[in-house]
This record gives sequence, structure tokens and C-alpha cells, in this order.
Amino acid sequence: MTDKSITELRGGRVYDPAHGEDGVIRSVYLRRDGIVSSAPDPAAIKESIDISGCVVMAGGVDIHTHIGGGKVNIARMLLPEDHAANLTVRGEHPRLGSGRAAPSTLTTGYRYAQMGYTACFEPAMLPANARHAHMEMADTPLVDKGAYALLGNDDFFLRRLAAGADPKEFQDYIAYTLRAAQALAIKVVNPGGINAFKFNQRKLDLDEANTAYGVTPRQIVRTLAEGIHALGLAHPLHIHGCNLGVAGNVETTLATIRALDGLRAHFTHIQFHSYGTEGDRKFSSGAQAVAEAVNANPNISIDVGQIMFGQTVTESGDSMRQYAGSAFASPKKSVIMDIECDAGCGVVPFKYKDKSFVNALQWAIGLELFLSTRDPWRIFLTTDHPNGAPFTSYPHLIRLLMDASFRRERLATIAPDAAAASHLGSLGREYSLYEIAIITRAAPARSLGLKNLGHLGAGARGDVTVYVDDANRERMFATPHLVYKAGELIVRDGKIVATPRGATHVTRADYDPAIEKALDAYFATYMSVRRRNIAVADAEIEDFGHSPLIQHQARRNAS
Amino acid sequence: MLGLFVFQLATLKLKPSVSSTINTRHEDVTCTYCGLLCDDLVVRTDGATVTPIRNACAKATAAYADSSARVTAFIAGQPAAIEHAITSAVNLLRKARQPLVAGLGADLAGLRAAFALAEHCGAVVDHLHGGALRQNLKVLQSRGWQTTTLSELRNRADLVVLVGVDVNVNYQNLIPRFLSPTAALQPERRRERRLIYLGPNQGAPSACGELPLDTLRCDTDALPTLLRALQSALAGGTVSGAPKRRKLLVELAAKIKAAAYPVFVWAAGQLDPAHADLTISAVCDIVASLNRTQRAAGLNLGGDDGGQTAVSAATWLTGFPLSVSYAGNTLDYAPERWSADALLRDRAVDLCVWISAFSPRLPPVAANAIPTIVLGPPGMTPAKNAVYIPVGTPGIDHAGQLIRTDAVVSLPLRQLRHSNLLTVADVLGRTLNALRT
Repeated sequence: MTDKSITELRGGRVYDPAHGEDGVIRSVYLRRDGIVSSAPDPAAIKESIDISGCVVMAGGVDIHTHIGGGKVNIARMLLPEDHAANLTVRGEHPRLGSGRAAPSTLTTGYRYAQMGYTACFEPAMLPANARHAHMEMADTPLVDKGAYALLGNDDFFLRRLAAGADPKEFQDYIAYTLRAAQALAIKVVNPGGINAFKFNQRKLDLDEANTAYGVTPRQIVRTLAEGIHALGLAHPLHIHGCNLGVAGNVETTLATIRALDGLRAHFTHIQFHSYGTEGDRKFSSGAQAVAEAVNANPNISIDVGQIMFGQTVTESGDSMRQYAGSAFASPKKSVIMDIECDAGCGVVPFKYKDKSFVNALQWAIGLELFLSTRDPWRIFLTTDHPNGAPFTSYPHLIRLLMDASFRRERLATIAPDAAAASHLGSLGREYSLYEIAIITRAAPARSLGLKNLGHLGAGARGDVTVYVDDANRERMFATPHLVYKAGELIVRDGKIVATPRGATHVTRADYDPAIEKALDAYFATYMSVRRRNIAVADAEIEDFGHSPLIQHQARRNAS
Repeated sequence: MLGLFVFQLATLKLKPSVSSTINTRHEDVTCTYCGLLCDDLVVRTDGATVTPIRNACAKATAAYADSSARVTAFIAGQPAAIEHAITSAVNLLRKARQPLVAGLGADLAGLRAAFALAEHCGAVVDHLHGGALRQNLKVLQSRGWQTTTLSELRNRADLVVLVGVDVNVNYQNLIPRFLSPTAALQPERRRERRLIYLGPNQGAPSACGELPLDTLRCDTDALPTLLRALQSALAGGTVSGAPKRRKLLVELAAKIKAAAYPVFVWAAGQLDPAHADLTISAVCDIVASLNRTQRAAGLNLGGDDGGQTAVSAATWLTGFPLSVSYAGNTLDYAPERWSADALLRDRAVDLCVWISAFSPRLPPVAANAIPTIVLGPPGMTPAKNAVYIPVGTPGIDHAGQLIRTDAVVSLPLRQLRHSNLLTVADVLGRTLNALRT
């Protein structure tokens, strides 16, 4: 007797770029253990749901969103006003919560799922703060998650780099860090700059030496990118470059792309790194130069970090740049931290104003980047939540990308001098649903090496979002009709109907255990904790966090 | 005899006992007896006895010794099976119109269960150190701050200012573990390291390795004034007061300005509650002024008895630090209004769930006037009207996780002895399940 376990979603238009499906009308068959490839035995079908007129995509995948860890929680603590003004009410979600810019973890999970996203990746997990980041992610329901460990500002790495250690040692250190922090990928933030700030350096250019260790951001980026390449990690080095937010930083960004010399790398929230110095205000768009460099260098991927107007809070490991930005805090308060000889953080509330020349131009620069980067597989939709805007603004952003007349209307409302300084108005490109499916799920999943997310083929985990087709793309993407997580219906017309916990994705890479011995001694001699205690055990995620651990094994590249 | 009979009634898993036939040595043990969470203790367990043999401070050594093997639950002063005690607790929660979940001395798993229960019951939630935690939050939420963590302190600081911190009574390992060790990533910072103590006589560190110490004595309630004078001296402004004191302040200001990484340490729980926020604000102002041209940082010590974990978990689960109320249709964050002490004093709650898994600390006396459910280590003697459910101590009887005072580092707690005691999460989870059915 056949087990009735399959749900058929019938009659929808399927956008599955991983398989080249661009609006194909076909049934999608779902089961708790994933997506079934072809039509199963009709006797196995538990229910068949008519979704004619609907658009079907895999669940959304957010490659860069600050959802869990120390700095996110500091932002919450710092801003009770954001939370008191944004309270959920009983019955709205399975549990209460609050916040818009830095929502509580439960609310974060619910809102992502309501928006059709089923996987979110925290991009800035300090190894010293890894256990805490996983605690918060465990309390973020419905979505899969994972995090990128920060390296490149920690004193251990900088000392070894200054000492001219062997590349193999850095490979071991990277692989060890992935294991100890339970991370999916590696990120560098203001390479060496966070450390330099601890020694009172206030800026650090690509070829400027950190005074304590005499090493440059160029060396740090190269060492990490080469190590990651050798280990064969799916996601390349995730780079938050030097000089974030500084007018003229487009030159640093282009120089960093050149410094990689063909090595794969991901440049995150590149909008914040695409500023020129032209014009009366000495602040201009560098988007065209950046887009051209991305177009010309297939080893490079980017996410945008689009800003939206309104109140948000910026939170970053980049204590050096956040300290500089704290002068513009709104409301006037901020937190800057030096952390554990590991990295740092800065939390600065900020209000982007459409009548501000700089903010309006930032908005235009982000959109220019979206519209001028040709290969959608190498650009991912982000607002660097919440740094550019809260993730709940994604539907609005999607409409801006898909609807040129809407975009022109919005452009007419921003500071006129900024609109004049941008050539956004001349860009007529409109993203198709197929391209949106690429930049919001297929491409980020592929970049992270998540073989069972971001697509609708056989073997996928069964994360599926069904949208009612609507010419108003903002409305369409804000409230999908149905959302499935691992084959289970979790949201129907905005209402959460089940609350499974998502899985935690990590990458494993082999390393020589000798690195643990070296680190045991280093931690015992200098740090405030023991190495074995700062490492996060599998059981802490699986048992305490009640989150299945999905391990992705890296395969070394031949050197 | 009665106790034995009661045990047999309980299911095997519920059978409370603390025993071990194994004499075991444990290394790298995390100590839970203050917010520093030292994780380098060496501990020997012999049966139920847990004895630290290396790296524990005097306070922790006494706390480990203070454990009882009497593991009986009580209902209204009478021994009871744990299952019956849980049933009594469920009945009390069903009847309560405005419960309070307080104490919150638990590991993360216990705290998650406490918040879930509080949400279900519409309770107000607060921690036993809520008053001190709120002093910090008041300052944080009004002006923000610039702070550092313990490894930075250990390696980077060349000057450490103890602002009313009495390391003789709490945070006893601060100097031996983080300030006086000779190795540092920046050896020159360690060589030059000196201490300044500002505060009352008895709080001055009685031992500080060989580190040079300057002391400027003042009553705790005079700290805000002293710090404002120091700020003025740092800015090169006029300093009032007796000539000797003025001279000392000017000298201290010169040392601070000459330092590469001065760290100002405070402990909200050791400050005068009437002025603590003023003291902390003054410290943060000094640090902010210094950072315009040089580097400096603050460091707050606190979050004992799971307090930092409670604040952090409250913040991510609800969006608000403590204290919050689940009584209405939405969360309500009103830190002073929802103070457990005030609510109990004003009889504004009609049931108190008191959680103190790290130490046998009883609820405030005011709770005796209302029904109380107490979760704490074995051997406690709560008031007559209480339902008392003994629970294991995280990091001794069962594994767990806690967040350290700096809100960055969290540490694993390992089980050190065989124990069948339920955890706070077990008891509250069963309670919530029963309430839902």
C-alpha cells in the first residue's frame, strides 16, 4: 500500500533558474523529506492544490542579514523606542515579539517566513561570540540559518602573518575556525582595521600597515582568499572592504578587486563601497566603475546593501568606521566595542533621509549597481539588514527593480541634486521574475554551496513559496499565498500555521590537529577563556538549540 | 523514611538523587558564581562533593562547598513527590491572575523555558539582580557607551581604573586572572600596567600582584562628583576641592592621558543604587572624551547568577531587556514599573515563581505574603506557603550555557557529578505542558 505523503502544487508557473525553468507551468511534488522529481504514483498524493495563476519559486535565501549575535542584541538593547513602536499582538504570530530595525529573534523568523524566505545567513559571527550567535539563531524559527566567521583582525592571525607563517598554517586555522565557530563561510571586515583601531589608527587603506603588526589589508585579504581557495570552500572570502562609507572608496574597492588577481571573492554591501569624490559636495556615484569591474571579473560576486529611507540601526564588526559614523547617530547614542583580541563592533542608529543629498545618492547608487551588473548569478539582493534598511523592505526593493515607471516616480521624490548627480533615471532595465528568482534564491544558494536550497528540482529540501501573480510586485512579494519549509506548510496568506525549527548549515574542512595544540597554548597564555571552551560543540546546536546540523564538506583544490 | 517512600512513588527519571561513586578530576571547568565565568577551574568530584582544587576564588570555593544532599520537594512545608509539587505549581499558576516569574537564576535552557511559561501565563519577568542590571541599561539606552572585554583588558590595558569595584568581595579573580599575569600580546602594556582605585576605603584591592596602585578614597555616593572632577582635570579645566585632592586628581588625569589603553571598570551592583547611573554615565562620558584623541574603554562587571544571560535572552526573545510584562495583548517594557521587588512590595502580583538554580537564595521576604513556587538547589527551606521543587545546578548537575559579564563571550557548563535532579528547563517545560492540556 502506498503511503499518502505527497502534496501536489498544480498549475502554477515555476521559476527555477537552477534548472533553467522560466515560467514553466508544471506541478511541484513535495514531501517532508524534500521535492520529488517527477509525477509520483497518484495513490501517494495526499492533497493536490490548485495554484493556477500563481508564481512558484524556491524559498528565498538571504545571503547577508544580521539576525543573530552580540551586535544585533546590543542594537535591540540600545533601541527600546524601535521596539515599543513595533509590538506584535497576541494571535499575530505564535509568540510575541517586537522591533522593526532590529526585531526580536522570534519575530525575525516569523517575518522572513511570511515574506517567503526560508534561509537566512548571519554574515558577521565573531569566533569569540559564536556560541551566542548560535543561541540567537536557534531562537529564530522557521528558517534555516548559518553564519560566517570573522577572521583577519584577530591577533593570532595577525601575529602569524607578521611572522611569515606557512600558507598551510592559515589553511588549518581557517578550517579550525569553521569547526570551532560552527560556521558556513569566512568573512573579513575592514581587513586589519578593527585591530588597528585598538591602537588608535583611525583609517587603514589597502596598502597601509597596521602599526602593531606591520601587515596590510592587501596581505590579509590575499592570505584568507588563498587559504579558502586551497581548502575548497564553496563560498569564497566574504569581503567587507576598507574605508566603508568614505567618499572616494570606489578606488579602494577597485584596487581590492585587482588585488585578488582572479581569485574568487564576494564583495558584500558594495553600495557602501562605491563612492566617488566628484561634484561640489565631493561625493558621487562610483556605481558604474564598480559594475564594470564586476562585469569584467567573473571571479567576483557582490551583494548590494541597498538603503531605504527611514529609521534603522547600523551594526557592524567595523568598529573603526562605526566610530567615525557615531557622530551622525540618530538618535544620538551608539555602542563601540573592542572584543576579545578577536574583532570589534559598532552599533549606530541612523535615519536615512530622502531629502539628504548623501542618503538620496546612496539610494540611487544601490539601484545603479543592481541595474548595471549584467550577470544576475553574481549579484544578490540585500539591504545588509538592518544597515541599509530592515529586510522587510525587500518587496519594495523588488518592485523598484521590476518596475521602471515606479522607480522613476520614486526618483522624482528624492533630493533633486542627488537625482541629477545619478544616471539612475536613464537606466530602463526591469528585472524579470526569472532574474528575481536568481538574485533572491538560486544564486545565493549556489554561492553558499547549499545544494538542497534555492531550487525546485529533485533532492531540494522542499522549501517552496507560492505567490499570487500581481502587477504590483511589492504587494505580490510581501505576502505569498503559501510557504513550505522542508515540505511542511508554514504560512498561508500571511498566517503562520506551523513552526518547525530550521536547520543550521555549517562547512567542514579537514585540518591538521596541530593547530589546536598551538591555539591551546595561545589561549591559555593570553586569552580570557580556554580554547576548548570557546569552541562550540555539535551537541550545543543540536541539543540545546534543537536545530538539525547540516554539514557541508569542503573538497580541497589541488595546489 | 517518608522521604524514601516518596522517592519510590516517583518515576525513575524523576527520582531525585545526587550521587556518584566516581572520584573524578575535571579541568577547564566554568565557574558560575559570578559574572566573570572563569573557565579554568580544576575541580575534583567525590560522590556528591565537588571541590575546586585550582584557580577558584574564595567566594567560589565557599559556594561549591555549600551543597546539600537533601533533595526533597515540599508543598506547604510537607515533603512531597516532585510530580505532586509540579501539579501543585500548575494549579497555582492556573489560579493566578497576575503571576511574577522572578529570580531567573538559571542557564539559557532554563531561561528559555521561563520566558515561554511567562508568555503563556501573562507573567511579569525580572531577574534577582534586576536593579543593578537596569542601572547599566538606563545609561546604555540614554547615551550608549564604548566598552571592551576581558581578553582586551588582559592584553591591551596599561592602566585600569576601578570605579568603586570591590574585588575583595566579588569578581575576586579580576586581578589575578586578567591583570597580574605576566604574559600579554603587547608586553609593554603589561610592563607599564598600573591600577587606580576610586571608592571607599574598604573596597581598595587588598592584593594586586606587584601592580602599582594609586588610591583616591571617596564614599560610593560621592563617586559621580569625583568623576566629574576627574573629567574636568582631564580636560585641563579647573578642579575644586582640597589642595591635596586637587593635586592627586591632576596627577591621575595625567596618567590616564598618558596611557595607551586605559580601561574604566565598574560594577553596577556595588554602586549606591541611588546614584549608580550617574556614576556609570560619568565613566562613559570620560571614556567618550578620551576616545576623541586616544583610545580608552569601559568594562562593566555584573550579570551574576545568570543575570547577563537573562538580560541577553530577554532582549533577543522579546526585543527588550529586563524587565518585561507579558500581561497584556502585547509585550510591555517598563523597567522600573516591572521591578520584582516593587511588585512584591506593592502586592501587585498574586503569585511568585522564584528561580535560583545557582545558589539556595530565597525569594524576597515580601513574597511570603503570596503563594510562591520556588525552584532552587536541594536543601532549601522556603516559607510555609511555598511549593518547593529542588533542581540541579547548571555546571554541576547538568550541562548548560551562560553568557559572561561582557555580553560577548558565553561558555559551556559541563556536568560534574551524577545527578538525577531535574533541570529548571525540565520543571518549567513540564509545567507549561500541563498548563496547555
